[in-house]
Amino acid sequence: MNVFLRFSILALMCCFLSVSTGAQGRYGDHRVMTRTVEALAKEYPSLCSVKPLGKSAGGKELVVITIGTGDRDNKPGIAVLGGIEGSHVLGRELAAGFAGYLLKNSGSPEIQNLLGKITFYVIPDVSPDASGQFFSDLKYERNVNDTPVDDDRDFVTNEDPLEDLNNDGLITLMRVSDPAGKYMKSPDDERIMVEADFSKGETGSYLVFPEGIDNDGDGLFNEDGPGGVNFNRNLTYNYEAFGAGAGAHPVSEPESIAVLDFLFDHFNIYATMAFGPQDNLSQPAKPAGGRQAAAQPAEQGYIPGGQGQFQFPGAFPMQGPPPGPQSMRMMTGQARKITSVLSQDETIIKLVSEKYRNITGVNGSPAATLPPGNFMEWSYYHYGRYSFSTPAWWFPAEPGKNPGVAFLKFAEENNMENVFVPWTEIKHPGFPGKKVEVGGIKPFVTINPPEDRLQDLIEKNSRFIVEMAAMHPELQFLDMKVENQGENIFRISLKVHNKGIFATCAAAGERNVFTRLMRISVETNGKQKFLSGQKVQTIKRLEGGESAEYSWLIMGKGTVKITAGAVNTGIITTTAELK
Amino acid sequence: MKKIALTTLFLSLLILLPDKVLAQNEALFISAAGTPSAPRVPMVWNKYYTNAGITDFCRKLEKAFPGLVSLSSAGKSYQGRDIYVLTISDKKSGNPDHKPGFWIDGNIHSIELQGSEMAMYTAWYLCEMFDQNDFINQLLKDKTFYIAPSINPDGRDYFANIGVPPRSGLIPFDNDRDGLFDEDGPDDLNGDKNISQMRRRNPDGAYKADPKDPRRMIRVEPGEKGEYDLLGMEGIDNDGDGQINEDGPGGYDGNRDWGFNWEPNYVQSGAHKYPFSQPENRAVRDFVSSHRNITAAQSFHNTGGMILRGPSIQNGGAEAYSRSDDAAIEAIGKKGEKILPGYSLLTIWKDLYSVYGGEIDWFHGAMGCFVYSNELWNSYMMFYDRENTDSYEFDKLLLFEDGFIPWQKVNHPVYGEVEVGGFSKMFGRLHPGFMLETDAHRNAAFCLYNAYETPKLEISNLKVTKTEGGLREITASITNTRMIPTHSASNLKFKIDPPVYAFLDGGTVVAGMIVENADLNITSEQKRNPQRIEIPNIAGYQKVDVKWIVKGGSKYTVRVESVKGGRASAQIE
Repeated sequence: MNVFLRFSILALMCCFLSVSTGAQGRYGDHRVMTRTVEALAKEYPSLCSVKPLGKSAGGKELVVITIGTGDRDNKPGIAVLGGIEGSHVLGRELAAGFAGYLLKNSGSPEIQNLLGKITFYVIPDVSPDASGQFFSDLKYERNVNDTPVDDDRDFVTNEDPLEDLNNDGLITLMRVSDPAGKYMKSPDDERIMVEADFSKGETGSYLVFPEGIDNDGDGLFNEDGPGGVNFNRNLTYNYEAFGAGAGAHPVSEPESIAVLDFLFDHFNIYATMAFGPQDNLSQPAKPAGGRQAAAQPAEQGYIPGGQGQFQFPGAFPMQGPPPGPQSMRMMTGQARKITSVLSQDETIIKLVSEKYRNITGVNGSPAATLPPGNFMEWSYYHYGRYSFSTPAWWFPAEPGKNPGVAFLKFAEENNMENVFVPWTEIKHPGFPGKKVEVGGIKPFVTINPPEDRLQDLIEKNSRFIVEMAAMHPELQFLDMKVENQGENIFRISLKVHNKGIFATCAAAGERNVFTRLMRISVETNGKQKFLSGQKVQTIKRLEGGESAEYSWLIMGKGTVKITAGAVNTGIITTTAELK
Repeated sequence: MKKIALTTLFLSLLILLPDKVLAQNEALFISAAGTPSAPRVPMVWNKYYTNAGITDFCRKLEKAFPGLVSLSSAGKSYQGRDIYVLTISDKKSGNPDHKPGFWIDGNIHSIELQGSEMAMYTAWYLCEMFDQNDFINQLLKDKTFYIAPSINPDGRDYFANIGVPPRSGLIPFDNDRDGLFDEDGPDDLNGDKNISQMRRRNPDGAYKADPKDPRRMIRVEPGEKGEYDLLGMEGIDNDGDGQINEDGPGGYDGNRDWGFNWEPNYVQSGAHKYPFSQPENRAVRDFVSSHRNITAAQSFHNTGGMILRGPSIQNGGAEAYSRSDDAAIEAIGKKGEKILPGYSLLTIWKDLYSVYGGEIDWFHGAMGCFVYSNELWNSYMMFYDRENTDSYEFDKLLLFEDGFIPWQKVNHPVYGEVEVGGFSKMFGRLHPGFMLETDAHRNAAFCLYNAYETPKLEISNLKVTKTEGGLREITASITNTRMIPTHSASNLKFKIDPPVYAFLDGGTVVAGMIVENADLNITSEQKRNPQRIEIPNIAGYQKVDVKWIVKGGSKYTVRVESVKGGRASAQIE
């Protein structure tokens, strides 16, 4: 079928789907999430099952919802993950919401057909310890699990957490009037604190810290709070040893181990879709030939989706070498390492990202960050799968503008209320005789939309996944011929054709031992004999629309069975009568 | 010395029954120099031990030397075998976990058996020589040895019972990526518990028997008639996919699994899913991570006669190695070349090949240890000659052809009539029995030397001076009398371990400082918690001066605590 024709049909089908799906239109905590997932399993027992994957460091269960019909683990699969970073609670809703969307629309012929061909593995929250902070009495953007970590490496653990000094249940900022301070009120928006630009003749008059006290009296504020390790820094690609939130070594955490073991054990998974801070869907894939700079340097003022702890200049010295293209990891590439998207894969990512933009209608791009050890890059470079990721919602950054100022403007234009805590004076034991005020942008609001946006986001993003999944690799036999050569000798010839858009595996996975190789095998009746051609052989990687030709010369009449493929492409069989 | 030996003898009589026999036999021997004269645990060092043998040895050693040895299990292998660790130290002279520790492991690669014997010999020698030799006595007072004879017991038993195993442990692994695990490994076609080679008669073959020694297959010259094809390792096409031996048991690499500079399988063949995918290595990780006093380490491999040091990838150590660390590593390694004739000190990435996720890089980079990996046995050792390294001749003249399996006819389902034979699994990479003890002793001596050079802290120049206002000034020097610093460069940079702490007990500490220059009175004061002065590092053979200003008290104790440098204390009135 013509690719464009198929797309049009899909688009048409889309119109018939019921509009109302998904979750309750509210952010739900771990208990709510668990109940929602269990309810789905109960309501659609023939289509889905829920299995525990293991427990987080803090003892919360990670689950996977498996959705599909037939022999689920033996046909191509897509993993959908949320909670890549705990502060991005939207990701959890989108992942779980996708499961709901798929099941509630499972009656439609399109989705019914898709569930027969593709298995979806939805892991709604890979960072339950961190995401729990959103629902707790003390709210702050947290991306680390409960593993005790001595963040500031002073050989005391978790001794200097954040404190809610103004008793509003939120951790915001703290500014201290001080002539030696480097911060000033932004000329664009007085509510936002920015670093004074000496080259413009500006001077600062404030010190700025995250809200809290210096519990251990080491001159640093809140540099060693509860936890922990960030799932999205703990994976093997471009891992930064001793980096913030990176863990004792790559994949050191129960969450990372549980998720990666599951993915590695499911050889049928050919693509992953992550809802997290990394983005390769809002814009066409970057041209091959090098990665972008790693983690963006911390901007002054508010940092959306930071490193799991607040980072302010002077507040928390970074341990380890600064990430960046010049770090030693980059120089050890050698010939075999893949460090940029391969051109064959780039074509697909481009196609998929176009689809994403068309379906969701997103504008602009979120701030690009490729921190060390992140999931999106791991999935592509080390797992060897097609890897997609989007935060799904963001506010447009304005070049040269402070992100805090840009956000407040965006919030105003979009009627987002209640996003700012006005600066109010408090008494701070650490700054006797100095004026200290607490205030600033509320946690979470810059990276998670208001709840009334959830439903729409779930539908659009789910719609996207359905259409992306429809581009799956799919094998078929073409031009099968049996020629009787006389003397009881038969020649069988055929093509194995990939009629999908995606290749049979990502090019990045071709040499990865954890990607299955397709094989084609011919089973004879035992009396027949191969004169030419092998009983079993591997099939090379096939791009979308590509074929591979095979022929065998067999002596002896009877039926032969031909099987081709691998679990990640689907396995097809046919028979030939030699007579 | 004689008295000590007699006491030992008397004690062993009390402890162990079998020693009565030994005691009676005492008159039959004259002690050789440098060798235990009357071992409480009689051992033979000209053969290899099974897991059962290793376990038996560990238990006997613990029982015979309760004051020195504690046996524990670091965890279980994939198939559920214990990874045993012997902790050896003079327990009377302090908590073993507070002394600088030396880790030894063997057999990470299953075919590389003799690492276990090297490790066991070291353990045995330390215990049996204790109370017989002053150097060993002092070493076990100062240091603790953590010795894991085999960190791949599954592979070891496979070797003993079945044949030549993979390098790895035995987690099923799909090497040929067909969805079946370990379905087509080598097969022992002639049932001799050996996987040897296959050859087939073929007048057009590329090989012929060497006229000098017909057991050896040599390539024919161009234009010359051949006699044989060589068909690789003994085995059949078990899964009928047209390939032979392409997916044997295990099939990854235990030494590409460590959480430092790790890369995946397509970059670094042998890597598993992610660092510490393998339970055996996880067990070692857990043990070492919870024994931060381990300062130096030794891993045993074969073969090639190498003392390997990191870094294992180019530039891979740029941030982790300093010039002074490097000097210590080179100096100890060079001494190793002397102790181990025929062995050369080599840097892995430069002189061998790049290794990502290797064990010694994790020890060095993540744990801050000084570590070597020895590739045991090489062809030089056959005739103590770099030129004549003919294995066939050695086998003939010294092993009387015991190392060779004569070619034997076998029917092969694919190749037809073939012959199976070649060097046995016990020869080529493994020491012949008669040479095992020699090399075990030399490698043990290298470990002991390395352990000796781990830091030893001493307090000197302890002085009390009265100052104005009834205060007292207390000064002391803390010296590291050995070559290895208390903190490697990566340890310092990434704060892997706490600094060296110098405590002053007695009186009320008013101020504490490190004295940079006593003559010019240049000091750096520690504002917080001056009673416990933090010294970032004491380099090899270096001294750090500290000073406290104290109110009250009459008796003062300076205590020094270093995770990797051990402890010391001194008192003054």
